[in-house]
Amino acid sequence: MTRLLIRLYPERWRARYGAEFEALLEERPIGPFDVADILLGALDAQLHLRGRSGERAYARSFVMTLRIGGFAAILGGPLFAGGFAVASDTVASGSQSAGAAMVGVGSLALLTALVGLSAFQARVYPALSWAAFAIPALGALGMAVGAVGTMLGTDALIGIFFGGLMAFFLGSVLFAVATFASKVLSRPGALLVAVGPVLGIAAGGSNDVLTITSLACFALGWLALGVHAVRTDRGLPVSQPI
Amino acid sequence: MEPKIPAFGRFAEPALLILVSLSDGPKHGYAIMQDVESGSGRPMGAGTLYAALARLEEEGLIEPLAPVDRRRPYRLTALGATNLAEQLRGLSRFAHKGLRQLGERQP
Repeated sequence: MTRLLIRLYPERWRARYGAEFEALLEERPIGPFDVADILLGALDAQLHLRGRSGERAYARSFVMTLRIGGFAAILGGPLFAGGFAVASDTVASGSQSAGAAMVGVGSLALLTALVGLSAFQARVYPALSWAAFAIPALGALGMAVGAVGTMLGTDALIGIFFGGLMAFFLGSVLFAVATFASKVLSRPGALLVAVGPVLGIAAGGSNDVLTITSLACFALGWLALGVHAVRTDRGLPVSQPI
Repeated sequence: MEPKIPAFGRFAEPALLILVSLSDGPKHGYAIMQDVESGSGRPMGAGTLYAALARLEEEGLIEPLAPVDRRRPYRLTALGATNLAEQLRGLSRFAHKGLRQLGERQP
């Protein structure tokens, strides 16, 4: 319990205060008040990484953005690809509504990832980075309109849904290209994110094996980018005090 | 010139209680909690304690000492002592003013 609570604090906070904090928690029983207080303390530490200089404050906000983007990529890639597989009946036990919900949540997470992970690339390829966000954002809007229209019985809007989906894949490819060319984050991950949609188009909806392979590449690529971003935080020197 | 009192937001009161606790000597986290709780009559959670300690340390009002086992004591710095004295004088002036006004209105 104690260790689980301490894990909620940022890595660098734990490096500085973790041992003494753990010793403190072991010295007396923990009640609901303490748990709530620690949860709020962890939230404060996550949101309020403080620094003495502007440069350090910038570095910390940057790390926070990377971390949020990383977790969003880890969540969004598999959800988006899995949701697509379920909704399109590529997997046998598919349920369209569940798949659409997964795609919806996954797309929101991936939009967050596109913002959080684009800091490096935007310095070198600003236009590409903006396009990599704007196109999927429009795609997400298209998917939402198409999904609502379909639920209301307007089947004509299903085309907008798939158009949005394609826009989302296209934006991911642009992001992957910018990431690969910038030599930041995981290049194999970027390659997988780019290759996934291309394989999907090649499959053309008629080759299930190729479709599943493309979705797996897409999900694994985002996972690799997300893990790399989260781990970048751990590479930063521990500063005292935090 | 009066020392600048850092803005600690919602951790201002816990920070002041910690400074008062450390004013009679170095203490580690658990001792500070016990001291604050016995002095103020209110519990201070570990999350609040360390959020305030981190801010106080960052502002240079307290400093960590070498840990004993895993328990690390903290002590007031000269800046912290000056800051605490200023805060307490401000509170004292405020309390005196309030008491004076209350006394003037009493029948």
